[in-house]
Amino acid sequence: MASSSDMGSADFESLSSTSDVELLKRAWRNEKAAPEILPYEGDLVERAKGQIELVEENIEAYVENGIDPLVVSLYQMDLDRTQFLLRSYLRVRLLKIEKFMFHSLKSEEAESRLSEQEKVFARRCADDLAKHFEESVLRKLPENYQSVLKQSLISEVDDMVPEPHLDTFVACRSNSHFTLNLYEEGESTQTEEMYRGDLYFIRYKIVKGAIESGKMDLI
Amino acid sequence: MYGRKGYQLVKDFASGEKGQLKPFNSKLFDETIEESRQNQRLIQSLMRKMEQEGLDVQNNRNADYYGALVHHLSLIRNKRCLMAYVHNRADIVRDLGWRVGLELPPEIQEKLTTLEKEYFKNHSAAIKSYMGKAGIDLNVDMVPPKDPYIKVRVVGDIDDGIVMSDKTTNFARHSMHFLKRTDAEPYIARGQMEELTG
Repeated sequence: MASSSDMGSADFESLSSTSDVELLKRAWRNEKAAPEILPYEGDLVERAKGQIELVEENIEAYVENGIDPLVVSLYQMDLDRTQFLLRSYLRVRLLKIEKFMFHSLKSEEAESRLSEQEKVFARRCADDLAKHFEESVLRKLPENYQSVLKQSLISEVDDMVPEPHLDTFVACRSNSHFTLNLYEEGESTQTEEMYRGDLYFIRYKIVKGAIESGKMDLI
Repeated sequence: MYGRKGYQLVKDFASGEKGQLKPFNSKLFDETIEESRQNQRLIQSLMRKMEQEGLDVQNNRNADYYGALVHHLSLIRNKRCLMAYVHNRADIVRDLGWRVGLELPPEIQEKLTTLEKEYFKNHSAAIKSYMGKAGIDLNVDMVPPKDPYIKVRVVGDIDDGIVMSDKTTNFARHSMHFLKRTDAEPYIARGQMEELTG
């Protein structure tokens, strides 16, 4: 789309930053950088899929109508990039599910972040791995020590479940001006002003809420 | 020393190259299992001894109680080591599915145990079923695309007459082709083609 001359650059910027491709790029970047799995962007993924199909059809029509191959290949390139974003976004999520499968199924909160298909996948993953553990190790151990989730029967909590490290440091950029408490709950009430466009290197746990509400983006 | 076998097992895994599988160390693995069983037998005999002496097993803190505790700790340590060994290998096995493809070539299969092959098969089925339901193939496009077409050279044996999305070609060894990236990627992952850059 050619931007007309009367359209200010600010307008164009705000318009382009809310297009689905930009939103997908943002979701993908956040997902890639976050140590834990983020809530699934279901609507966005569906819209992106729809748009990809549309562009695919358009490209086919262009080829049939004999439009300049260079133009077609430009559209194709754009399409490839969008497809990469979508695939990579879903793939990063699957990799996180694979990594923390038992954790993802432990609490409803963690499970609610997954799409329906991802839930099915996580359950299958966990069943397969549990079966693999049982056949390779657990079955051969004494009875009290055969749990996948607990070290032994006397463990009170599930102490064999890998969890994401929420204390890890992440780089992020603020999208708006707001105040943030830089301490964990109850430690201190001291807050810090976050300015739009500023970069921060900070523990994930502290900015988790701001990222999920879109006030900050991971980079 | 109790717990050393498990430690050696984990060390054996850690000494391997990152992302590469070594043959499964079943000798050390079985020895660790055997040590765990030994621990269990000793815990039971200590417990029995305390019961015979008429002592309350839950609350009595005598030498036998601490003896049993040491065996218990050794056992859970061994369990963690055994699980870590299998878990880390399973991580690599899953990772192969993404890097090499959901069908593993025989030279990689060799390094997997029967159970790991079975696990890989089940896990691949789970990924395929996810991709089928989501209606999207996630095993292509592993690197961000620069150009929709890439230049490749055939380095392995590829059966003739593979239909690419737009045409049929004869992929003789060492021949060079200009292909759609998405078509070529599976062959590159399997080492049958290499991308020519520059």
